[in-house]
Amino acid sequence: MKLFKSNPFQVSPGWAFVSYLILGIWTFIVLFPFYWLAVTAFKQPNDVNAGPTYIPFVDYQPSMRAFDELLGTNSGVFVTRPYGNTVVVGITSAVLALVLGAMAAYGLIRFDYKPKPGLIVTFAVCVGLMIVGTNLGIPWQVAVAVGLAIFLLLAQTIGRRFKGSMSNNDIFFWLVSQRMLPPVAVIIPIYIIFQRLGLLNTHLALIITYTAMNIPIVIWFLRDYFSGIPVELEESAFIDGASRYQVLWSIVLPLAVPGLIATFLIVLVFTWNEYTLGLFLSGADTQTMPPFVSAQNATRGPQWWNISVLVLLMVAPLFVLSVVLERFIARGLLIGAVKG
Amino acid sequence: MVATPEPLAAPSAARQRFQDSVAGWLDTSSRMVFLLPALLVVLLLSVFPLIASVFVAFNRVALVPGGFQFTFVGLDNFRKLLVGSESRYFIGRFGDASWINILLGIAFVVLMLYLLYQYIRSPRLQIFGLVMRLITITLAVTLFGIVIFTLGDRGIPGTLVVTLIFVFAGVGFQYALGLGLALLVTQELKGKRFFRVVFLLPMMITPVGVAFLFRMMVDTVKGPFSPVWSLLGLANFSWADTPSGARAAVLVGDIWQWTPFMFIILLAALEGISREQVEAALVDGARRVQLFRYIILPEIVPVSITVILIRMIEAFKIIDMPNVLTGGGPGTATESMTLYSYIAWRSQDYGLSAASAYVLLFVVTFMAMVIVNIIRPRLSGRL
Amino acid sequence: MKKTTSFIVLMIVLLLTLQGVAAQDQYAGITIDILTFTGPQIAEPLQRRAPDFAAATGATVNVVTVPFADLYQTILTDQATGTNSYEGFVFAPQWMVDFVGPGYLTDLTDWVNADEALEWEDIAPFYRDFSATFNGSVYTIPLDGDFHMVYYRTDVLEELGMEPPRTWDDYLAIAAAANGMDMNGDGNPDYGSCISKKRNAQAFWWIISIAGGGLQTQGTSQGAFFDTETFEPLVNNPVFVRALEIYQETSNYGPPDELILDVGDTRGLWTAGRCALTLDWGDIGSLAVAPDSQVNGLTGAVITPGWTSVLDRATNEMVACDETTCPLAVDGVNYAPFASFGGWSGGVSAAAAPEVQEATFAFFAYMSAPAQANVDVTIGATGFNPYRTSQFEELQPWLDAGFSEESAQNYLGAIQQSLNSPNMILDLRIPQNQRYEQRVLDLYLSEFLAGVYSAEETAAAIADEWNAISDELGRDTQQAAYLGSLGVER
Repeated sequence: MKLFKSNPFQVSPGWAFVSYLILGIWTFIVLFPFYWLAVTAFKQPNDVNAGPTYIPFVDYQPSMRAFDELLGTNSGVFVTRPYGNTVVVGITSAVLALVLGAMAAYGLIRFDYKPKPGLIVTFAVCVGLMIVGTNLGIPWQVAVAVGLAIFLLLAQTIGRRFKGSMSNNDIFFWLVSQRMLPPVAVIIPIYIIFQRLGLLNTHLALIITYTAMNIPIVIWFLRDYFSGIPVELEESAFIDGASRYQVLWSIVLPLAVPGLIATFLIVLVFTWNEYTLGLFLSGADTQTMPPFVSAQNATRGPQWWNISVLVLLMVAPLFVLSVVLERFIARGLLIGAVKG
Repeated sequence: MVATPEPLAAPSAARQRFQDSVAGWLDTSSRMVFLLPALLVVLLLSVFPLIASVFVAFNRVALVPGGFQFTFVGLDNFRKLLVGSESRYFIGRFGDASWINILLGIAFVVLMLYLLYQYIRSPRLQIFGLVMRLITITLAVTLFGIVIFTLGDRGIPGTLVVTLIFVFAGVGFQYALGLGLALLVTQELKGKRFFRVVFLLPMMITPVGVAFLFRMMVDTVKGPFSPVWSLLGLANFSWADTPSGARAAVLVGDIWQWTPFMFIILLAALEGISREQVEAALVDGARRVQLFRYIILPEIVPVSITVILIRMIEAFKIIDMPNVLTGGGPGTATESMTLYSYIAWRSQDYGLSAASAYVLLFVVTFMAMVIVNIIRPRLSGRL
Repeated sequence: MKKTTSFIVLMIVLLLTLQGVAAQDQYAGITIDILTFTGPQIAEPLQRRAPDFAAATGATVNVVTVPFADLYQTILTDQATGTNSYEGFVFAPQWMVDFVGPGYLTDLTDWVNADEALEWEDIAPFYRDFSATFNGSVYTIPLDGDFHMVYYRTDVLEELGMEPPRTWDDYLAIAAAANGMDMNGDGNPDYGSCISKKRNAQAFWWIISIAGGGLQTQGTSQGAFFDTETFEPLVNNPVFVRALEIYQETSNYGPPDELILDVGDTRGLWTAGRCALTLDWGDIGSLAVAPDSQVNGLTGAVITPGWTSVLDRATNEMVACDETTCPLAVDGVNYAPFASFGGWSGGVSAAAAPEVQEATFAFFAYMSAPAQANVDVTIGATGFNPYRTSQFEELQPWLDAGFSEESAQNYLGAIQQSLNSPNMILDLRIPQNQRYEQRVLDLYLSEFLAGVYSAEETAAAIADEWNAISDELGRDTQQAAYLGSLGVER
C-alpha cells in the first residue's frame, strides 16, 4: 500500500480486469471474422457447404485451391491486374485529394472568401458551354481552355458588378454536401462526361472521380487540424519575408504531419475500397479490386474461398500501413475539436 | 564550360523579372490558388451530374435507337414516389393506430409546438426564422408520423423508414460502442497500442467484402455459429425470416464495420483533453461518472457531433450490406433508399431512380441542417 | 488398309491446312471485344477458343468481363450512351427485347442461313425459333441451353420407396418424407427440398416453373404470363394462388435460411449432399459430377413437375385435365418446362463496322458449331448446358466428363424430354421486363414468403402492378411485343 494514489491515472486492479475483459471481448468480435476469412481461404467448396469447419488439419484438410485459381498462371482469372489498378488508383487519388484538400482547407481558415452567387452561376454556364462544345465535336482540351478563358474574362468584367456574397462556411458546407448525393444518382452523367472526354477505361477517370469524391472529407478533417496551429507562428514567418507557400510548406505542413497522415490513411481506405463508381468507370484494363471481389459471386454462387483470399489480400497493405503509422493516427484526427 | 557572364546576364535578369512577377502574382493571388483547384475538381464532377440528374428526375426516360428519349413528366416521378404507386415501397403501409402510436405522435407534436412557443416568446424572433422553424417542424412531424405509424401493428415500413432505422440505430450503436472503447483504451493499460491497431481493422475491408463476410457470419446452416444456434435450440432459426431479424443482421454488419471510425476519432478527441484538468478533478476526488459528465463530455461534444454527422451522411447511402446480405428482403424490410434507387435504375426506371435519389439528398440535407443549426448550438451551449 | 487410311488422313490434314491458309486472312486485323460476366463459366470457353479462332481467321478476340449482376446495365449503358466499346455481347436472350427495340443488335438471319458449319437445324427448335428469334429475325446465336428441371437424390428416393415427382403434389410428398433424413452421412439431419428464395437474386423464376404447368396448356405460343387476347396477367387466378401455396410449403422442408439463399448456395448444399430435391437450371447435372461433389451418381433429373388440373382462361377457374383442356398432357399430367433466362447467347452490336460484325458473328457461329460446342457442354467449368440435338445422341463426351452411363442417360433424358416438349414456356420478353419480373414479382413473392400478404392478396397485387406498368408503357405496344416474342402472327 505504498503511495498508490501517487498517480491518479493508475487504474485499480479490479477495474483493469473489467476493462481487459471488455476489450478482450471486442477484440474477439473484431478478430473472429478475420480468422474465419483466413480459414475459409484454404477451404474447398465442400468444407464450406457441408456445415462449418473451424480448424485446418483438425476438421478439414486445407487446400490451396483458391490461391491456385486466383494467382495460378493457368487460370483465366488474374488477380494481379485489378490489384495493380487498385494500388495505382487508390494511392494516386488519395494523394491528390490530400494535396488539393489540404490547400483548400488552409485557404478556408486563413482567408475570407466572399464568393458571389452570380459568379457561381456564370461558372455553371461556362461548364455547360464546355459540355455543349464537346458534344458539337470540339476537342475537349480546347473546349475546357476556351470555357475557362470565357469564365475568367466574365469574372474580371461583369463579375465585379455582382452583389451579395457568401461566407467560408457556405463554401465549406457546400463542399461537404457533395458527399451526400448517392453515387447511383450521378453515375450516368459522370459516365457520359468521361465517355465524351474519351477517358473511359482509363486510370485517369477513376482518379479524377475519387479525388473529387474525397476532397470534401479531406477538407473536413484538415480544416480543424490547421485551425489548431497557432497563427502567431505564421505571422512571425511573414515578418521574416516568407511567402504564403513557404509558410504553408515549412511551418504549417510539418506541424500538421499527424493530421495529414491520419487523413491520408482514412481517404486511402475510401479510395481503395470504393465499389459503385469503380464498377462503372472501369473496363477490362482498369477494373479495380472491389468489383473483382463482387464478381466472385457468379451464377455458381459465392465463391467463399476466393472472396476470402481477395479480401485478405486487399486488407493486408492497409493493415500494415496502419500498424506503421499507428502513432500518428490518434493524434491526427482533431476533427470538430474546434468549437463554433 | 566557358565562362561567358556577359551575354547571360541580360536574359537572366529578364528571367528573374519574369520569375518575380510570376511569384508575385502567385503570392498576391494565393488565396485563390489555395482554394480553386479543389473547388474546380469538385464543381466539374458534381455540378453537371447534379443538373443532369434533376433533368432525368423530371422525365420519363426510354431507350431508343441512337440514345435516350426523354418525355417530360414534371413532378410525376416525385408524385409516384410520395403518394402514387411507389409510395407503398417508399413510404410504406400505415398500420393500425394503437394508443401508443397516437400518444407518441401527440407528445412529439406538443414538444415541437412548445419549442416554437419558446421561440416566439424569445427576443430573437424574426419572420425568416419563424418560417424556417415552421417548415422544419412540419417536416419533422411528418417524418416522425411516418416512422411511428408504419412501424405499428400490420404496418410495413417503406425504404424511407428502413433507411432512417439503419442510420439512427447504426450510428447510435457505433457511437456508443466507439466512445466506450475509446474511454477504455485511453486508460493507462498495458497493450493499448495493440487494441488501437486491432480495433481499426474492420473499417479497412471493402464494404462488399464485409457484406459477404457477414453473410457467412449470420448463416445459421453453414456459418461458424450454427452449432451455437443448435445448442440454443434454435436450429431452425434464421435471421432472414422476420423483418426485424433481417434488419438486425444488416445492422450488426454495419456496426462491426464502422464502430472503428467512431472509435479512432473519439480516441483522438479524448487524448486531446489536457491531463492537468483531469488530474485536478481526480485530486479533488471526482468520481468516474462526474469526471465524465463535467470534464470529458463537454470536451468531446463538438467532435462527437461532427463525427456523427459524417457517419450519418455515409450511412444514408448504405447499399452493399443489405444488397448482398438479404437483397432488401424479406419484402422491403431491409431495402434502403439507395438500394431502392439502384433497383429502380436497374429496371430502367431512370426517372424514378433519380427522383428517389433526390428525395434522399433532401432528407440527408434536412437532417444535416437540423444537426448543424439546431442540435449543435444547443448541446455546445448547455454543456 | 492402313496405308489408305493414313493417306486419307494426310489428305484431309493437307486440305484443312490449305483451307486454313486460304481463310487465314479473312478477318485479319480485326479486333473483337466481347462482353460477358466474370467467372470461370461462360468467359472460360470464349477465352480458351479465341486463339484457335484467331489462327483460323486472323481476327483477335478479347473477352471483357463484368460482374454478373451488372452485365445488363453495362451493355445498356455502353450502347445507350453511344460508347460502343464492344462488338459482341454474351447475354441472356430475355434481355434481347430491350436491346433489339432501340436497335443495338444486328439482324443475323442471312448469315445464319448462309453458314453451313453452324448446323442451325441441329439446334433444338425451341432455341432456334423462340430464344434466338424476335419478330421473325434471328438476333442471337445460342451458346447454352437454360431451363428449369427438378433434381432428386436417387438413393434417398430408393430408400423411401418413392418415384421421382410427376406433379407438384408428388414433389411436396417426397420433400415431406425426406426432410430430416441424414443424406450425407455426417449424422445431422438434412433437408427435403432446397429452393433458393433470396430477394433481388434469381429466385422469382421458380414460381413460373411451379405455376407453368397449370397456366400454359396449348403449346409455347400460348404464353404463360399474359392472355394473348386481352393482355390480362395470368396471375390473379386459382392456379397461381395454388402455386404460391406450393412454393411456400416447400419452405417447410428446406433449410431455415432459404429466404437468403441464392441459387449458388442451394447448389452448394446440393453437391454437399444435404438436399433430397431441388429446382434448378441444367447446371446441377455437371456440378454433380465435378470433383468435389458428394452426390456423383446419386443425382437424378426429371422434367419440371406438372399439373393434373389447369387454368381455364375463359372462366378463370381451375379445371381437370382432359383431351381438350390439356391436349399435350402425358399420362394426364400437363408439363410446361420453363426456359427461364433462356441460355447464354451471343449477339452482335449494330454499331460495329460491317466487316467487324461479320467477324463477330463468325466467332459466335464457331463457338456454337457442333465441333466446338459438343465438347464444351460436357465440361462443367464452361457453364454451357446442352442445346443441340446432336449433343444428346453421343454419350461418349459425357462419360469422358465423369458421368456414369446411367446418370448421363437420366440427365440427358430429362433435358431432352423438356426440350422436345411442345409446351415449353418462353420467358417474359417484353420491353422493361425487368420491372415486371425482377421488381414487382420478386418483391411480392418476398413479401408473401415473409407473411405480409396471403396468397390471394399476392396474386391480386401482382396482377394490379403488372397492369399498371403495362398501362404506363402502353398496353398495345407491350401486347404487340409479347405476341412478337411468342411468334404469334396477327
